[in-house]
Amino acid sequence: MGSDDWLAFKREEFKRWMEDERRRTGLSRAVAAYTSAKANALSRLPELEEIRREVRKIKERSIQQMDELVKITMDSVREVKGEAYLARDAEEAREIVSDLTGHGKLVVKSKSLTGDEVGINEALEERGNKVYETDLGEFIIQLRKEKPTHIINPSVHVPREEVAKTFSELLGRPVSQEIPALVGIARDYLREKFCNADVGITGANVVSAKTGTIFIVENEGNARFVSNAPPKHICLTGIEKIVPTLSDAFMLLQVLPPYATGVFMSAYVSMITGPSKTADIEKTIVYGAHGPKELHLVLLDNGRRRMAEDDVFREALYCIRCGGCMYECPVYRVIGGSFGNNYFGGIGLIWSAFTTGDEKVAAAVDACTKCGRCKEVCPLEIDTPRMVERLKQRLVKRGFVQPKHYEIMESILHNGNPFGEDERAGRSRG
Amino acid sequence: MPDSILYWKGCMSRLRTKSISDSTMELFRRMGVEFATLGGNEGCCGSVLLRTGQLEAAKKTAESTVDRISSAGFKEVVTACPGCFRTMASEYPAIAGQVPFRVRHISQFLIERSPTIKGRFRSMDVKACYHDPCHLGRHMGVYEEPRDLIRMVPGVELVEMKDNRSKALCCSSGGGVRSAYPELSREVARTVAGGQVPAGVKLLVTACPFCNYNFKDACSGQIRVMDLPELLLAAWRG
Repeated sequence: MGSDDWLAFKREEFKRWMEDERRRTGLSRAVAAYTSAKANALSRLPELEEIRREVRKIKERSIQQMDELVKITMDSVREVKGEAYLARDAEEAREIVSDLTGHGKLVVKSKSLTGDEVGINEALEERGNKVYETDLGEFIIQLRKEKPTHIINPSVHVPREEVAKTFSELLGRPVSQEIPALVGIARDYLREKFCNADVGITGANVVSAKTGTIFIVENEGNARFVSNAPPKHICLTGIEKIVPTLSDAFMLLQVLPPYATGVFMSAYVSMITGPSKTADIEKTIVYGAHGPKELHLVLLDNGRRRMAEDDVFREALYCIRCGGCMYECPVYRVIGGSFGNNYFGGIGLIWSAFTTGDEKVAAAVDACTKCGRCKEVCPLEIDTPRMVERLKQRLVKRGFVQPKHYEIMESILHNGNPFGEDERAGRSRG
Repeated sequence: MPDSILYWKGCMSRLRTKSISDSTMELFRRMGVEFATLGGNEGCCGSVLLRTGQLEAAKKTAESTVDRISSAGFKEVVTACPGCFRTMASEYPAIAGQVPFRVRHISQFLIERSPTIKGRFRSMDVKACYHDPCHLGRHMGVYEEPRDLIRMVPGVELVEMKDNRSKALCCSSGGGVRSAYPELSREVARTVAGGQVPAGVKLLVTACPFCNYNFKDACSGQIRVMDLPELLLAAWRG
């Protein structure tokens, strides 16, 4: 079986999370706020039941024709004078985005899980670019040099007291611990970055193939700045985000906010179809009026096609990334961001395994109880426990077996029980 | 023999939470249920192997278990372990081929006999909570039978955990988590019991030997934990 390194680092990480009162406090506050907001939203949106079933069908259809939709999307984006690229893996994505960005540039970014997946910030910084995360949660953890711990609320583990500490270090003066004041600090600090940035990088929540439209859903308004203020907008997103039409995208948009944050609709949905343009002077089209002159859509495979080819794992591609299952997971509530790698919770185990490799996530897989609660609360009813069991089988074949599980298996085969006990008594009448 | 049911203890109550299997058998005797066990030859259902990805060993174990039960001629299997129940009833057909016997959870078996057990209980006078085991509830859809049985005991005021039935929170003793990360498993059980049990509840009723073991271990001194057959036997009159 070789070295147990894959196991040791996770054991340590779990322990740190369990013992960290600060992080546990932040997480439990967030869980309480999320669950009550979502319950309220869902009780007032009974029509969502039908819509979420329809979205499941849309995703099933879209993944079925994923390759075709990639082609259509790229053609559509080019037709409206944007550029489109298909990156096979993380390295290709880093190269494309880095080449588009150049050296020594000021880059503002809105939250992008796909960006984290390929390690975009590190790649850009290596080329001497200065990268600012502008989503408040991402900004906080970027300053703290930590890793995100939730896909919707990356700094969910950082309570207000700690945010105040981080901001006072940034500004070199004491700051209030009041949450509105902390939000104000980020607003003031980042405003100037938005206006001076050379490049804005975003992800996407949905892409409609037929029109080449990128949808970005957010509450803060930072993604609007990022995708609008700099002269160049680069959108990096996974190929599974594409749906055939605008109508399909709108269906998905109705499900995402209530399940993600317990609101009917997010404050902002940006729909971007090509770069900014005007024809107001003599009907002559000029690109880059008030918005970016250049729009680049980078579509990422990085394991997604392999997922689509598998009858079981394909379901992971239906995930709309609301992140609800994480807050609802009893294990995530205790070990938070250590339960996964670049994606978290049960479905995050599958995503991490396919996008960054089995070894990174092998030990965390054994923290999943396969209890099925995530499937129960998922708007698309994704059968995550089934996928995790299947992933575990693959990991076992590759030698990622917990020593204790191996012992249990040996004992079952030899003793008929998992405890290593010798039971010799014969069959007995009750 | 084929006329009697097979009471399948499951490894946990056979060897760790023996009070659950002892209580189950005593309850059967008092009810006049004709039953047999496989004693020391019972072996393993293979659930834990399935959950830990050891598919080949699981198949082998399941096949041999089907063979042991069917060659002894049993047509009816009753178990108080939801892990065994789910594995045998819903997963064996895919991994062990044909299953020539019926498998039920004890709560389903007992509820069928409610006319013979109703009115046989003394009053307990306790505020209690029922914890839905994942294998029994979400995976097999059995939610009401254990509750109906608990309500048959006079004086037991049954209240619900904050999240219950299909939304119940896993105690995390299953799925191979407790053997891989015992501390994590205890911590989850502590968090679940601490955050989900309403004030004033003195008794947590489980219907799974694994949940029972984990909650007892994690919440010792904080709340009394009893498994369903233990509760029913304790309340049985005469």
